[in-house]
Amino acid sequence: MIKATLALFAATAFATLPSGAANEEEDKSALLPPVHGVSPDNPHSRPPRDVPLVIFEDTQLLAADADDGHDEEDDYAPILFERLQAQFPDRFTWNEDEEHWVDARGEYTWDDENECYWQTVTAERLTRGRQDYVQLCASCHGFDGDGYGRSGQALRPPPRDFRQGLFKFTKVDSEKLPEDDALVQLVQEGLNGTPMLPWDIHENRIRDIVVYIKSLSLPELLDEDGEIEEDATGWRDPYGQIGVMVAADDDPWAGRETEAIAAGEAYYHNYQCYNCHPGYATTARMNELGGKDPSYTYRDGITLPKVVEDSSYEVLGYAVSIIPPDFTWHSMRRGETVADVYKTIAAGVGGAGMPTWKGSVPDEEIWAISYYVRHLTDTYKDKSATRMQFMRDVKAGH
Amino acid sequence: MSPFPSTRSSPETRSSTRHGAGRPVSRWRLAGKLTALLAVALLPLACGDTRIHPNPSASTFGHRHDELFMLITALTGVSFLIVLAMMAVPIIRDRARPGKKAHYDHGSSLHDKRFTAIVSVVVFIVLDAWVLFVSVTDLREAWWNYPPADSEEAYRVEVLAQQWAWNFRTPGIDGEFGTADDVVTINQLTVPADRPIVLNAASKDVIHSFFVPDMRIKRDANPGSVNRVWFQTKPEAAGNDYQILCAELCGFAHYQMYANLTVLSQDDFADWEQDASALAVASFDADDTEAHWAWDFKE
Repeated sequence: MIKATLALFAATAFATLPSGAANEEEDKSALLPPVHGVSPDNPHSRPPRDVPLVIFEDTQLLAADADDGHDEEDDYAPILFERLQAQFPDRFTWNEDEEHWVDARGEYTWDDENECYWQTVTAERLTRGRQDYVQLCASCHGFDGDGYGRSGQALRPPPRDFRQGLFKFTKVDSEKLPEDDALVQLVQEGLNGTPMLPWDIHENRIRDIVVYIKSLSLPELLDEDGEIEEDATGWRDPYGQIGVMVAADDDPWAGRETEAIAAGEAYYHNYQCYNCHPGYATTARMNELGGKDPSYTYRDGITLPKVVEDSSYEVLGYAVSIIPPDFTWHSMRRGETVADVYKTIAAGVGGAGMPTWKGSVPDEEIWAISYYVRHLTDTYKDKSATRMQFMRDVKAGH
Repeated sequence: MSPFPSTRSSPETRSSTRHGAGRPVSRWRLAGKLTALLAVALLPLACGDTRIHPNPSASTFGHRHDELFMLITALTGVSFLIVLAMMAVPIIRDRARPGKKAHYDHGSSLHDKRFTAIVSVVVFIVLDAWVLFVSVTDLREAWWNYPPADSEEAYRVEVLAQQWAWNFRTPGIDGEFGTADDVVTINQLTVPADRPIVLNAASKDVIHSFFVPDMRIKRDANPGSVNRVWFQTKPEAAGNDYQILCAELCGFAHYQMYANLTVLSQDDFADWEQDASALAVASFDADDTEAHWAWDFKE
C-alpha cells in the first residue's frame, strides 16, 4: 500500500518536472501578475537615489527632478541663503570650522559655481517618507500624488493634488507656501468633515512624509540654460518667501466673550462676509450693523452659502466648485477653538477665495469675528430645532 | 535547589505512589477545591460586570439579538455545568484511596456508547435545534423582513465605504437618488426615528463592514457589489447620537473609521431634510459628473 502511494507520488513528480530551463523562465514570466503602480512614470517605483532634490531650509523645495534629463549639477537649485537667514534670523548658526550654516535639521553648504547655499534631502529620508506615503496617503492622494487615488475618487471636497503645490488650511498667509511645521500640524490635526484624519503617528514620520509630499510638486525651476527662472512662482520661486504660521497669542477679548460675540456679529456683517458665507441677520438688522441705507438689498439666497463655481483647483481638468461653510451647518475644517478660527481667518484659505485678512482688518476685529463664528457653530450646528427656528426668523426678515 | 518543597521526601509515600494509591484525599476537600475553581471562573458573571454588556438596544428588533445571545449563553452554560458535574462524579468516586486503587475506564463498553449516543442526540435537539429555530424565526420576522419596495414610509440610504470614511447619500425631498437634491455627507448620517431605514452598502476599495452596535446591525460593504440591511429606531431614540463603526479590518486607520448616526424625531427630520436639500441644490454642480455616484437602489 505504502509502496504503491510512493510510486504514485514519484510518477506525479516526474510528470510535472519542467522539460527545459528556458521553457520554465517563459512560464514564470507569463504567470507573474501585473504589479499595480510600478511603472517608469511612477515615482514610487524608482530606485532611491541620493540627490533627487534640493531643499531650502526644509521648508522650500527648489530642485528639478533628477530624472528630467538635466545634468546632475543643474539639478542643484541655486538658493540665496541670505534671504532665508533674514527671514528666520534665530534659526541658524554659523559653523566657523566647517564654514557653513547649520540649523536643527541640516547643514547648508556654499556652492561656489552657483554662488548659493543648498541642502540635500537624503535618499534615506525620502525613502522613509515614500514608504509611509504609500501605506497611509496614497489610497486617497494617489500614487503619483495627483489627488486621484482609488479611495479619493468622487470625493468632495477632493483630496489635495500635491503636484500643484497649493495647500489650504495651513494657517499660513494664503499667498505663501507653508513652512514644514504648518504642514505637520495639519496632518496631526486632520480636517474636520473630510476623510483627512488626525494622523497619530510619530512626528518624525510625518516630517518625512511632508518632505516626500513636497518632492511630488517639484517645479520647473531651471530654464533651458540651467538658470533659475526669475518669474517662477510657488515652490518654483527661489526668491519667494515661506510663510510662517499665524500666531494667536494675545486674545484682546479674553474675559469679555459676550462682548466679543456681539462685536463679531457687527464686524461679520460689516465686512460683507455674507457675500460668500450666509448672512445670519434680517435685512433690517444687517443694514443697521453695516450702516447701510434701509432700502439696501442683498444677494439672492442670502441664508445659503454662495458657491464658488470656478475655483482654481482642478480634478482631471475640471474646476471643482467650492462651498463656503455655513457655520450653523458645516463643520469648520480647522476651527476647534476660537484661536484656530482666528488663525484661519487671519491667514486666509489659498485657492478658495478666502483672502488673507490679517493686515487688511485690525486684529481685534478678526478676533471678534472668530468669537462670533465659533458661537454660531456651538449654538446651532447639529441642533436641528434651534437652528431651524433661528434660520427661519432670518429668512422671514429678507 | 528547587524552590518547591519535595512531595516525595519519604520512601513510604513514594512506594504508595508507585502503586497508584497516592496521598489520601478527603472527598469533601476535593469537592471543595473543584467548587472554588468554578467560582473563580464564574466570578465576573457573579459580580454582574456591566462592562461586558453592550448598550441597550435602540432599534425595534435589537432585543431579539440580545435574547438570542442570552439563550445561547444560558444553554451552553447549563450544558457546561452538566458536563462539569459528570466529570466531578468519577473524579471523586473513582479516586485512589488507602486500600483502593483508582478506577480507570475508557468508556468503550456497549452501555457507555449507547449512553454517549443518547446524550449527543439530546444535546443536538435541545441546543442546536432550539437555537436554529429561534435564529430562523428572527431572520424571517426581523432581519430579512425588509420593507416592501414601494414603501413610502421607508427611508433609503446609500452607504459608500472607503479607506477610511463613510460616504452617505440620501435621496432628499424628491425621494429619488441621483438628483440635484441628494444629500451627500461624509461620516454623518441623519435619519428619522421610528421609520424603517433601508441601507445599501458598497465600497470603493477594500472590504469594510457597516456596524451600528446600538441598532444591532452589521453588514459588510464590499467593492463591486451592493449589500442591504435595515433597521428601525425606537421612537425614544429621537434626539440621540449613535456611533457607526467599521467592523472589518480595512487598513492602517481602520480604528479611526467611525461615523455619527443622528436620530431626529419625524418633525425635526422633516425640517432637517428641507434645509439639507435646499443646501444640496444650492451647491449642486451639474458638470461635476464624477461626484454623482448614486446607483439604482437595491430594495
